[in-house]
Amino acid sequence: MPLRVRRRAASLLTGSLCALLLLSGCAAESGASGDAPETAGTHDVEHARGTTAVPNAPQRVVTLEPLELDTAVAVGITPVGAAVASNVAGVPGYLEADGVAAVGTVPEPDLEAIAALEPDLIIGTESRHSALYEQLAAIAPTVFIASQADPWRDNALLIGTALNREDEVAELLSAVDDRCAALADEYAVDGETAQLIRPRDETTLSLYGPVSFSGSLLECAGFTIPEQDWTDGLQADISPENALSAQADHVFITATDVDDESAIPAAITRNAASFPSVTLVDTSYWVSGVGPKGAQAVLDDIESFLEASR
Amino acid sequence: MTARAVTAARLESRGRRGGRAVGGMLVLLAALLLAVLLSLAVGANPLSPATVWATLRGDGNAETDYIVFDLRIPRTITGILAGAALGVAGALIQAFTRNPLADPGILGVNAGAALAVALGVSFLGLRDVSQFVWLAFLGALVATVAVYLIGSSGRGSADPLRLTLAGVALGAVLSGITTGLALSNPDAFDSMRSWNAGSLLGRGVDTISSVLPFVVLGLVIAVVLAPALNAIALGEDIARAQGANVAGVRIGVVIAVTLLAGSATALAGPISFIGLMVPHVIRWTFGVDQRAILPLSAALAPVVVLTADVLGRVIIAPAEVPVGIVAAFIGAPVLIVLARRRNASAL
Repeated sequence: MPLRVRRRAASLLTGSLCALLLLSGCAAESGASGDAPETAGTHDVEHARGTTAVPNAPQRVVTLEPLELDTAVAVGITPVGAAVASNVAGVPGYLEADGVAAVGTVPEPDLEAIAALEPDLIIGTESRHSALYEQLAAIAPTVFIASQADPWRDNALLIGTALNREDEVAELLSAVDDRCAALADEYAVDGETAQLIRPRDETTLSLYGPVSFSGSLLECAGFTIPEQDWTDGLQADISPENALSAQADHVFITATDVDDESAIPAAITRNAASFPSVTLVDTSYWVSGVGPKGAQAVLDDIESFLEASR
Repeated sequence: MTARAVTAARLESRGRRGGRAVGGMLVLLAALLLAVLLSLAVGANPLSPATVWATLRGDGNAETDYIVFDLRIPRTITGILAGAALGVAGALIQAFTRNPLADPGILGVNAGAALAVALGVSFLGLRDVSQFVWLAFLGALVATVAVYLIGSSGRGSADPLRLTLAGVALGAVLSGITTGLALSNPDAFDSMRSWNAGSLLGRGVDTISSVLPFVVLGLVIAVVLAPALNAIALGEDIARAQGANVAGVRIGVVIAVTLLAGSATALAGPISFIGLMVPHVIRWTFGVDQRAILPLSAALAPVVVLTADVLGRVIIAPAEVPVGIVAAFIGAPVLIVLARRRNASAL
């Protein structure tokens, strides 16, 4: 598999480059930083795999889950490496984070690439990376959130604890809530319904529920999501035959390119009369980009939608 | 009695079997009609048969028009075409390799089609299943030609054993590359998931009509080859003595299997088990005459595909399970039963 070989070579190269940079960085800094008391120590973090001693000021963080990457970037700690949703798209553009090396994909992180980065903290997800825990812990102190399906705010707080920035994360979360409340006051859309639809493939449309990341933001901005047969309130899958059960006053459809009208599935366009308001939104933060920054990006979209339709 | 003598004896009972085959064909055609009606009437959206009928007569609303004309009719036609193609391709490949466990995918057709689609998804940004069709077809053709060239290189002609080995080996390589591509871009491959499992949805009538000529051509070649395949079943030497052109028949079979399995895979994705299971059931019931097996397989396979598809629409309604997954669930137990029956459907 030439692809994999090339990727490995690339990650080795990145790894050795990073090692070089690290060495020169250390050499430059060693004179300047005489005392940094709170950076030296560690603090204990209780997480899905027990209790781990984590550096107080982690410098080289690797994240394996979009929420972990988003939260780290949001508190000003740009990870050195992150497992990404897609090797082609790389680190999502909305984060505006430079210098984050891709270390495999979220379901299949690349252990060699992670080790080559010489991280001092790895944050992963028990429900996805359970089998890798021992290997990851041998590379660096590793903290796991339990499941990406748990409420993202709780997970974000645990990630904040691991990064020793719990207060900042709490502030970012209340900033999201405050902005939501402000939008709900300002535009007073109470009573109007909204539905987020993710077209999976030709057999499935996924509807996102009130507990989902973007669903919760739509609701806190004042919209109501129509009742469906939700799985844990998160999501409901329907056949295109049942497209009309996704009806709402406003329908948001996720797409890679929001300017590409062909991304609207035929199930919606052929029933256009039942869908008066259809808006394409960016999958990279409406679905994948869970976290404080993603939430602000979604709220940006909701605000400009509300402003335009006022 | 040697296996050959058994086969000869079975072929002699052709006359008796002939009547059964005609009766069987009528039963299967009736079953097919029933399956088509079910496929039009039953779906994830519980429309009443009366509503479907009204929609067919032109008295539907936008929703029922979409469900019946855009979803159920095209998927029914896709199911018939893909089913018939898979059934006949399976019967041909089993007769050709004289291996009752051969599957149309053995010549690398599915692996080639899947790799071509994966390349399209990765590098051309294809997302919609109607864009997959021609790429899938191209991939199937290229893979089979490559298998044929590998299998016929070196000394001697392309015998079934070498073609099978070449097909399995190349198929494994191609599947490996496809998996590599899928792992490195899981988001994009979300849109390929259903196709990869085998699904009848999302093919427009225009797509279907452009694949139709290839299916028809493949079926015609199969029917023409049937008598020669009967001769080859007696052994190659006897076939040659009877005047059959063994090398020519082989090339004809490879072309027909490529056209049929390539069309089916392009239309519906790599649906497994149908091409393996259907010809078995037919041989088991109606004997070993290829002139009966081929048309009977062409009639039974669409019944199985459509029934599996209808099941897939209702078991997790309001969502759907792709037909390929249901076919595998039905196919696996049938395969076990078949494998446990000694000489039930030997070739």
